[in-house]
Amino acid sequence: MSTVDPAAKADKVDESVPDVSAESEDERRDRFERDAMQYVDQLYSAAMRMARNPSDAEDLVQEAYTKAFSAFHQYKPGTNLKAWLYRILTNTYINLYRKRQREPLQSQSDQIEDWQLARAGSHTSSGLRSAETEALDHLPDSDVKSALQAIPEEFRLAVYFADVEGFAYKEISEIMDTPIGTVMSRLHRGRKMLRDMLADYAHERGFTGGNYQESKQ
Amino acid sequence: MSDCQSLGDCDDSRIERIYEYLDGAVPKADIVEIKKHLDECPDCREQHDLECVIRTVVKRSCKEAAPENLKNSILDRIHSTRSA
Repeated sequence: MSTVDPAAKADKVDESVPDVSAESEDERRDRFERDAMQYVDQLYSAAMRMARNPSDAEDLVQEAYTKAFSAFHQYKPGTNLKAWLYRILTNTYINLYRKRQREPLQSQSDQIEDWQLARAGSHTSSGLRSAETEALDHLPDSDVKSALQAIPEEFRLAVYFADVEGFAYKEISEIMDTPIGTVMSRLHRGRKMLRDMLADYAHERGFTGGNYQESKQ
Repeated sequence: MSDCQSLGDCDDSRIERIYEYLDGAVPKADIVEIKKHLDECPDCREQHDLECVIRTVVKRSCKEAAPENLKNSILDRIHSTRSA
């Protein structure tokens, strides 16, 4: 998301737009394989942040791709295919796994409201100083993933879509099927929580910055 | 942590302003102003740089390669599924 104006970077597909209605079954399959299959690694990485273990993540991606192929006639060529696939992945996850866990997506944010958000607000912004930037940079991947995993789902996914995938607010709002304002507040809160978690990991690893104790009091 | 109020009247709103700046979500006119401020204010720049590092680290850590058989199983499924 390094570009300046999200509106200006609306995806432009350079290849000629196929006439979907005149397409044969085989042609559509070829087009799907050519255009959609390149995102398997990326969708798998995202699925790992949703499903938490490789086997479930694999099932999730496979299920999402199967759905995407079945619905591929609804995809409008020239629009953002990656965002379209992410939307299907996210829906598949919510329908498949959240149902299984019998926890609605929304309820978690109410539970964390009290302790985690208050905690995030209390010392987040000062929890990490530039003295620890280097420490952060050296945190093992497993710590970073655990930190991300510790954030409630809807915040985690918003942060993931923005910071890892570089989706614009509007794209995230379509992927998560939530208003842009909600996306922004999830992002802001999620990033603060992440900062807080990362600070904890950095401190646990003994990378204590000079200002930490001082700022905690 | 800082008395600087150029980007917001508290730490929270300041950091959110930095998030939005990095997201490319502030109006063009504000970009120049924020950029100039970041050049001049070490505190805000520190927060900005830290956020950049966090994003880099998260991006790096979350990169996974799908298992080799996954692509094949997807292709198998697609070839036995009719696209409606």
